[in-house]
Amino acid sequence: MKKAVWSAVATAAGMLLLSTSVYAQTTATVAVNVNVNARAKLTITGGPVNFTDADPDVTATLTSNALNIQVQVRTAAAGNSSLTLAATGDLDNGGALIPIGDLDWAVTGPGYTAGTASTTAQNVGTWSGPGARTGTQTFTLPNSWDYVVGTYTTTLNYTLAVP
Amino acid sequence: MPASLRIGWTVAALLALPLPAAAQSRTATISVVIAATARLSVSPAGISFPDSDPTGVPLVAALPGPVGITVKARAAHGATLRLTLRATDDLRSGVTTIPAGTLTWTAAGDGFASGTLTVADQTIGTWVGSGVRTGTQSFLFQNSWSHPVGTYTLSMQYTLSSP
Repeated sequence: MKKAVWSAVATAAGMLLLSTSVYAQTTATVAVNVNVNARAKLTITGGPVNFTDADPDVTATLTSNALNIQVQVRTAAAGNSSLTLAATGDLDNGGALIPIGDLDWAVTGPGYTAGTASTTAQNVGTWSGPGARTGTQTFTLPNSWDYVVGTYTTTLNYTLAVP
Repeated sequence: MPASLRIGWTVAALLALPLPAAAQSRTATISVVIAATARLSVSPAGISFPDSDPTGVPLVAALPGPVGITVKARAAHGATLRLTLRATDDLRSGVTTIPAGTLTWTAAGDGFASGTLTVADQTIGTWVGSGVRTGTQSFLFQNSWSHPVGTYTLSMQYTLSSP
């Protein structure tokens, strides 16, 4: 009978000890992989570019509506991107021309650059690293009594380059 | 590893003694030892986020899908089980990093909590007492044009513990 009592006490003590013991922390690991590839997106809204006719004596410079430009690029941390513009030709009304070099632009937005249109690529903006950059571009044209009456058109090609 | 279950039987005074039937005594002590133990299963062992257009896919879902978690524990009565998760580092591609906080998850399953990954322990589940708990984590990566190009990795460490 004494043996049975001690056995019960020992068993109870053992169960208490085990049930309150702290087990070692259990861990698991999951590997995470994220792929970020080079990308470029150019969005231009607000076109076409129009100039409203005006009296040259009153309005010496014609100003267009603004284009909204958004450049979105994914590059390396220090990778460069650039936006250029090239006109396909002079402003042309089917006979008379206004030299494309008369067309200037002003800009807003970080990294954007004012300039003068040409049939060769002209810089509109440069940036370093990935990101989304928005800006506006507004064109101006000297108003002149020398212009031949007509509707002049040309096409501007924008190129976003990401190395 | 299956839970340790040991059943010990101590049977005393079973030897037949030449006592009268009305005065016979029998004592049986049963000892059941249930040790504190825990098992943590996380699957799959890795997840990945494919490259996606940040404009069209601002939140990228992990492949191959949700992470399944199974917590099995034998704990003391009323003991709290806690499952935590931490990133070993930010997402890293060479010297370029993306904060671990760009990874978030939505949890499903009783006791599991949604959250945002950090390099500090985040509690992703708590329970009281023994049992088997299953849940899932659906991870999302916050996509951005500002992320530099690269293949980023980190490890997520799950830890199951009991006070």
